[in-house]
Amino acid sequence: MSAYTVFLMTLWLSLFVIWIFSGEQFLDLMFAMPNAGPIDDVVLTGVVGLEEARASWGAPDLFRMLRDALHGLTGLGG
Amino acid sequence: MVFPTLQFILFFAVVLAVNTALMPPADRAEGGWRQGGRKAFLIAASYVFYAAWDWRFCLLMAGVSLVAWIGGGAARHPDRGRLARALSITLLLGVLAVFKYFGFFLLSLQQLLDGTALARDLGWMRIVLPVGISFYTFQAISYVMDASRGDVPPRRNPFDVALYISFFPQLVAGPIVRAKDFLPQIDRPYPVDAAMRAGAVVLILSGLFKKMVVANYLSVLLVDPVFAFPQGQGQLEAAVAVLGYGIQIYCDFSGYSDIAIGIALLLGYRFNRNFNQPYRAVGLSDFWRRWHISLSSWIRDYLYIPLGGNRGGPLRRIAVVMTTMTLAGFWHGAGWPFLIWGALHGVGLVVDRLVRSLRAVRPLRLLAMPATLLFVLALWIPFRAGTIETAGAVVAALTRAQGAAPVALSPQIWTLIALGLAMNWLPLAWRDRTERGVAAIPAAGQALLLAAGTLLCFALAQDGTAPFIYFQF
Repeated sequence: MSAYTVFLMTLWLSLFVIWIFSGEQFLDLMFAMPNAGPIDDVVLTGVVGLEEARASWGAPDLFRMLRDALHGLTGLGG
Repeated sequence: MVFPTLQFILFFAVVLAVNTALMPPADRAEGGWRQGGRKAFLIAASYVFYAAWDWRFCLLMAGVSLVAWIGGGAARHPDRGRLARALSITLLLGVLAVFKYFGFFLLSLQQLLDGTALARDLGWMRIVLPVGISFYTFQAISYVMDASRGDVPPRRNPFDVALYISFFPQLVAGPIVRAKDFLPQIDRPYPVDAAMRAGAVVLILSGLFKKMVVANYLSVLLVDPVFAFPQGQGQLEAAVAVLGYGIQIYCDFSGYSDIAIGIALLLGYRFNRNFNQPYRAVGLSDFWRRWHISLSSWIRDYLYIPLGGNRGGPLRRIAVVMTTMTLAGFWHGAGWPFLIWGALHGVGLVVDRLVRSLRAVRPLRLLAMPATLLFVLALWIPFRAGTIETAGAVVAALTRAQGAAPVALSPQIWTLIALGLAMNWLPLAWRDRTERGVAAIPAAGQALLLAAGTLLCFALAQDGTAPFIYFQF
């Protein structure tokens, strides 16, 4: 496997892990996106299914905790 | 679709994976279905990226690409080459004029007619400004000019030109990539090695930090409140806000350029640097060699030199500089403050030439950098103000000892200013050393660094998405 493939696969894996521990950010984003026309329902059904699976694993929203900590520490964001 | 959003990250993750699958194996020559497939895929991805604003803009971009392809293809014709070049460039400039400047002329006409019997509300005639039109129109002109000068062979395949004009990393806010630099890369992108990945990681992370942290927070905490209510500010708040805007626009725009260059590197394409520590400039001509380099060099090669450049007597040269810079100001925005900004930069460049010999005197040479910085910062006032009235109110605040309702200059603001100045002043050797350090990390570590750094920038950023300043141009 080339170094670049390893780089890409690690990026994808990181994205997956970040999604697991980022609460409902992804769901919010998908609902905020422009209507995808004929495939909109399919996309949203898929996303909701994924989000239900993620929620059933009970992963904490680490992103929100990190965000609150950084904002509290720097005095920014509020 | 804006770079620092989850939406773009998902989009780019898919594009990166498919682009990589369509790259030729390292031991095989480029060509065949992979090459065609990659070009078609990148064009499709770029149009999806652009359609996220408004799908109708895609028709305009396709039209611009078609005009450029026809004009560039015919530009070397022995009989009709000059005519083809003139027609295509007139058409391209006409598109820019209609979409970008029609509203300005309409507003000026309405103001002229107000108070007369001919007064009309002409607002219904205004046209929506397609995002990035100034950038991709200039790239289209670059292709026609480069083809006509023989700097780049005209492309038979219209999709090559379409990809050059629509390539999404630089589509909406530059850098303005030259045809002669980009087109050869379409046929043979660079294999993405450790050094390219390292360059991409460092550029993307520095760009995200500049934009999401420094620029956005300076805008919200300092610049926007001061420029929204300059009447309530004293000279300290106004002066810090002007400095803050200088840092904001630098971090906003150079941040965008860094991210654009970084994501192009990950796709196998190299763009030239667009900023080179502009606030370290010793003189205004030096500033323009460091600020938005792709635009300044475009203007030099396709406007300043054809207009006469350094040829002719002093008066002619002054006229050429003034015309060039006023048009450069007008390129930035259709409005009087931008025209004034450009014209004053023209005056500054003329004075810069006159006093250049004085820089040989050591005490005066030491003053060159602060004097240039002060001049550039002062001219950001009309640029940011948007109207002459607001610019006047900010200048008035600079002469007022104390304001009635000044913005609180919090420690966060001073920290952001220090960070912004550091991003401009840190030695370039440090960044090179950082890139070499990142290049030595295994590929998985580079990816983790990119993911973790991006996550931290997103976590530190404020809620919502702030568009880049240069999108409006």
